[in-house]
Amino acid sequence: MGTFEKAVEVLKNDFADGIIDLKVPRKKKAFLLLKPEHHREAVSLLLKNVEETILSTITGVDLGNEIELNYHMACEGTITLKNRIPKEKPITKTITDILPGANLYEREVYDLLGVAFDCHPNLERLLLPDNWPNGNYPLRRDWNPPEMQESNLDENSSLSTEALEDSGSLINVVVGPQHPVLHEPERFSFKVDGETVVAVEPRLGYVHRGIEKAAERMMYFQDVFLVERICGICNAAHTTVFCQAVEDIGNIETPPRALYLRTIIHELNRVHSHLLLLGVGGHLLGFEAFFQHVWRDREPIMAIIEQITGNRLMSGFNTIGGVRRDITPSSIEKTLKTIKAVRKRAVFYKNVLEEDATLRLRTEGIGVLNRDAALKLCVVGPVLRGSGVASDVRKDDPYAAYDEIPFNVVSYTECDTWARLMVRADEILESLNILEYALTNLPSGRLRVRVQRKIPEGEAVSRVEAPRGELVHYVKSDGSAYPYRVKVRAPTLANLMAFPDMIRGSYIADIPSVMGSLDPCFSCTDRMAFIDTNNSQKWHWSLDDVNNSKHKKELISNGS
Amino acid sequence: MALDLLFLVRTLVFPGLIFLLVLVLFFDWFERKVAARFQNRMGPSYAGPFGILQPVADYIKLFSKEDITPEQTSKLLFVVAPLLAFSLFVFALFYIPIEGSNVILNSSFEGDLLLVLLLVTLANFGIFLSGWASLNPYSGIGATRVLTQFLGYDIPLILLAIGPAFLARSLSIINITASQSIPFVLLIPWSAVLFIIVLQAELEKDPFDIPHAETEIVGGYETEYSGRKLAFIKLSEDFQFLIGASLVTVLFLGGSHGPMPFGPAEFWHVFWFIVKTLGVVFILEYVGNVSARLRIDQVVHGNWQLLIPLSVLSLALTVIVEPLLRSVIV
Repeated sequence: MGTFEKAVEVLKNDFADGIIDLKVPRKKKAFLLLKPEHHREAVSLLLKNVEETILSTITGVDLGNEIELNYHMACEGTITLKNRIPKEKPITKTITDILPGANLYEREVYDLLGVAFDCHPNLERLLLPDNWPNGNYPLRRDWNPPEMQESNLDENSSLSTEALEDSGSLINVVVGPQHPVLHEPERFSFKVDGETVVAVEPRLGYVHRGIEKAAERMMYFQDVFLVERICGICNAAHTTVFCQAVEDIGNIETPPRALYLRTIIHELNRVHSHLLLLGVGGHLLGFEAFFQHVWRDREPIMAIIEQITGNRLMSGFNTIGGVRRDITPSSIEKTLKTIKAVRKRAVFYKNVLEEDATLRLRTEGIGVLNRDAALKLCVVGPVLRGSGVASDVRKDDPYAAYDEIPFNVVSYTECDTWARLMVRADEILESLNILEYALTNLPSGRLRVRVQRKIPEGEAVSRVEAPRGELVHYVKSDGSAYPYRVKVRAPTLANLMAFPDMIRGSYIADIPSVMGSLDPCFSCTDRMAFIDTNNSQKWHWSLDDVNNSKHKKELISNGS
Repeated sequence: MALDLLFLVRTLVFPGLIFLLVLVLFFDWFERKVAARFQNRMGPSYAGPFGILQPVADYIKLFSKEDITPEQTSKLLFVVAPLLAFSLFVFALFYIPIEGSNVILNSSFEGDLLLVLLLVTLANFGIFLSGWASLNPYSGIGATRVLTQFLGYDIPLILLAIGPAFLARSLSIINITASQSIPFVLLIPWSAVLFIIVLQAELEKDPFDIPHAETEIVGGYETEYSGRKLAFIKLSEDFQFLIGASLVTVLFLGGSHGPMPFGPAEFWHVFWFIVKTLGVVFILEYVGNVSARLRIDQVVHGNWQLLIPLSVLSLALTVIVEPLLRSVIV
């Protein structure tokens, strides 16, 4: 009996009086409707009895009179615990005391659906601007966008500079929204004592585009292209996971050749994403030569992706019911050749990471996240595997062709930045093996099945192992051609929770490498806001802040 | 009067200011080209043959750009510090015998090696002040890093520079170069290797480019600078680079001395000096390109716990083997 089955048994036996309805519609996916306010007991029961259980995310769904909170617990499969609360009085109890990793997810639900969580440590806006007018919850079904003008935004509640006040020997160093370490805009304000980081306050939401809401207004087949645009680098992961969810709801059988082709594109994505990250890691650590060489060797992979899909980056390859293009024998041959060449280089870069003294000096013992903390904070992907938990969706809950392809799950027990980089270096090699296997064992047959525009009523949680970690989509259908709700949880949001813990007590110089080792992708994380009206000076250091006499005095007296 | 004219030409044209500027720009280009090739890039390619005019183009651009002085900075320091650093570096370079003698004729004296090192030290304070005067958190951190790192490497640098002086029994740079019929790098290689490592820190190159680690503190001490003042900071960095590389040349590689088959001696002096210094630049760039950036605490620990004891040991070793080497030193 696998971990998933055991978890379902535990809930069925020890929690029978709390469950209204239990469904296991598909392998490794269970949906439990709980009696109101029983979610805390269910979550703690799972955590106690099932090892390595984490919370994937919390999805809020507006059902009309009620708001349904879906707690997606990942324990090999996904167990979704449903807690329904009345919409007139949307208050429920927090689970952050049981599972600190729920913090950001609860804030997200609070932000977008207006559900208050009792006893949450800091229930504040997560994604919407701070001056977003109160009482506007965009993901509620009955919400109509008011005329949004700068004038009707609440000026007073906008980003306060209070948190940026220097006190004692502490100096604020604000990283972002524009900073060389960030490739996408996001703000982190570090409290720094000399060269040591004391605390960090992240602020998300600078790249919101309202994709979850927009997805409700487009048809399923259109949404495939919308979710593809959540993130450039892991676009294949996003389309795969969305198509899977829709195929699950509609009981659509995807042809085996399509499953293999999805796997191939997905792994090519992983290889180029990991190479990109290793290069960026070199750049962040001031190892420019490493950076330039890794990125050079990433190019052949991009060329292959272009040859197979027609596009260098946005593949537009997956669709509901299969894939859109076939691979020709000549490009299989070319791909196999390239894989051989890239493997040679990947082995070399792994050796550099292992042997270069300066790289090890800068990454070993830095940004430590031990196993227990990693599980408590619900981190995913290479970050989790770098902390000694061999968890990989491809193994735990196989999708596409992964149940037929042999591969190893890489994990390191060092728990530091170095381990997280090494996980990626090893995974490149694993991915290349997967690619070789998939290309040589490609089944023949159809590419796709025709799918009706209308998808039957139902819901599905779908997970894939994106390059940055577990990527979750939840799709709910009401029987029309338009989804009732699409929820996206990108891996970076899960991993970001761990960043303040990792960086506390480190040096300023470690900020880039630790942040880089998370492989943050903020366009994935911030996928759903509507406007961007903050005027720039509000989130920068204002000149007064930087230069007031108090600050000047402090710089002079404390800036050692 | 004739003497005055010679003096003017020597200080302003050759081998003084203009010649040094051309040399510095050439070295800037060479450094960039070498670094680019190490990183599998093209490097400067468009301005002039092989992009050799790229540094000139860059400085013309910088000098013509808007020069912003932020309101809240300490204005005087903010303006003076880059100029101070620049002038001190140029002055220090006047004591390096590029064409066989100093820029100002007969200005060489017993102890000018110490003067050059002192000027470099003072110029570093100029760089520190430029960051300090900016009153920007990034500049502030960058400036403190300059000083912290500097406190670590300055002592071993001077200790290691004493080695060749001891062999030559002179503290004058000209005498040191003149006594190297066999370059000192062959006699006391341990000193030369350590000197290059310490120099890497002095020049703020990887793995010691901590004061302007752009992924950590943006531009470091030069974050707030723009236009002409930034150009002067960049120029001082280039001059510092040339001084660093030429110190290796004069202390360990026999300076401008080398085979002189025909023609005027000045030409061969300049030729050998440039060739040797380019070799040093190549080595410096090589070290910089095969290592990641260290952290400030690691550098400070490394300097005080490793480099200073090693420099003392290396000096001691030099003193011990000196009688054996006496016969081959002129």
